[in-house]
Amino acid sequence: MEPLISIRQLAARRIYRPGETLTCEYQIDAIDPTEVQAVEASVLWYTTGKGDQDLGVHYFQRRTPYDAEQGDLRRLHRFQTVLPRSPLSYTGAIVRIHWVVRVRVFRRRGKDVYVDQGFQLGPGLRAPPSVNPQAHTAELE
Amino acid sequence: MAKFFRLWEKKRGDRRTGSPVAASVGEAMFFGTLFILGIVALAMLLANQAMKPDPHFFTLGLGSWLILIVLTSFILIGGGGFVLTILEVGASAERRSALVRKAGDMEFIREVRQRGREYPNIPRDANLTNSPGVRLTYRLPGLESTAWQLAAAAITCLLCVGIATVLIVIAVHGFQIDRPQWALTAFLVPFSSVTGWSVYYFARQLMLHTGIGPTSVEISDHPLYPGKAYEVFLVQSGRLHVEQLTIALICEEEATFRQGTDIRTEQRVVYRDEIFCGEDFHIDPAKPFEQSGSFHVPAQAMHSFKSGHNAVHWKILVTGRFEKWPPLARSFPVIVFPNESWEPAEHGAAD
Repeated sequence: MEPLISIRQLAARRIYRPGETLTCEYQIDAIDPTEVQAVEASVLWYTTGKGDQDLGVHYFQRRTPYDAEQGDLRRLHRFQTVLPRSPLSYTGAIVRIHWVVRVRVFRRRGKDVYVDQGFQLGPGLRAPPSVNPQAHTAELE
Repeated sequence: MAKFFRLWEKKRGDRRTGSPVAASVGEAMFFGTLFILGIVALAMLLANQAMKPDPHFFTLGLGSWLILIVLTSFILIGGGGFVLTILEVGASAERRSALVRKAGDMEFIREVRQRGREYPNIPRDANLTNSPGVRLTYRLPGLESTAWQLAAAAITCLLCVGIATVLIVIAVHGFQIDRPQWALTAFLVPFSSVTGWSVYYFARQLMLHTGIGPTSVEISDHPLYPGKAYEVFLVQSGRLHVEQLTIALICEEEATFRQGTDIRTEQRVVYRDEIFCGEDFHIDPAKPFEQSGSFHVPAQAMHSFKSGHNAVHWKILVTGRFEKWPPLARSFPVIVFPNESWEPAEHGAAD
């Protein structure tokens, strides 16, 4: 059985301004505490679309049982980070940029499991409609 | 058994058959062996020199110095490769990315990347603002320099003509002394064609360079910000009858991807604002064509972006069609920064 990973962003909306602080909590259930080898929490962007995927990590924290109270990594843990000025969330024709909070759990046996929770950095940009060429035709000087 | 001991593996993009763990073990073994080989051989070489000193050991040449350098490179490549492989075993993509970012935070690298840290993944604009304009604030550099094409064509042409001349002299001399060199003569037939093509190409490039002439674009401010207006000024030289000449602000997405074993790049224009379009006029060498115009960067425009395989580029594109000349397309990149005056609505959620 796979562990359950819960992520909660403290801000009611999941739309942030560049430079704003993102505060987040996560908790792990349905797994024995001795089974959890490490937990990684990250705030990152990745691209989708036609090109190969790029990924940029803005915040990264790896915790092992030595870092947790009574060695239990399942307990509620909070972290926060000041978001960068770029790149902003974007939905283009062949390039899209997504921001997520990702929590990855490494088990002593079996593959690691991760859960993403998306958020929007900036106004949620899209490719603007092109301006009508005729409207800007100018006379020769 | 064939499942465990495959001679050939298949690969498509990032996906491949075979165990990634076995691949990492094999890679670590390769680098480890290289490291041990280097260490053992170097130790033996130095021990031998210590026990039986050879006065010629430190003389320059193809002797002991070369062996010393090769063995040292074995140690460095083997050791470095082994450590990197071990670090990457079992590490998540995020952890690898965070390690790279941490390396970028080292003191001496951080100073160089300071602007990049302020606006990650937005290209720097230092090269775009180091040339002042005559009419407006900055003169933008072009993306493609025709001077380089002309220089390359000139060098190729000179080399081909030089080699062909020498070979023709040798071949003619052979005929004069009744000892014709048929192989050389046969080679000269295709080589003369290549030389003829290089002369034609050079002449064409020279005519393009002198005929159409340079294009200069100036801009009132840089970097650009969404929602703001800017002025642009174009100077086009040459001796031309222009059928059509346009200046446009372009936003182009670029994606690089693997298709089989090929690497392909696709570009798509997602925004175009035509600043100027002129038709049917003459340009004289004594009086270059000058045109000013203005444009608005849309308030909701995406900022410039560059990562490993994906990019969003903004540029001023000058295109032209001329009588008796091939079409012209010259790009002048600009950098758009994010709109920082944006305020989010009180309610709403991300997708």
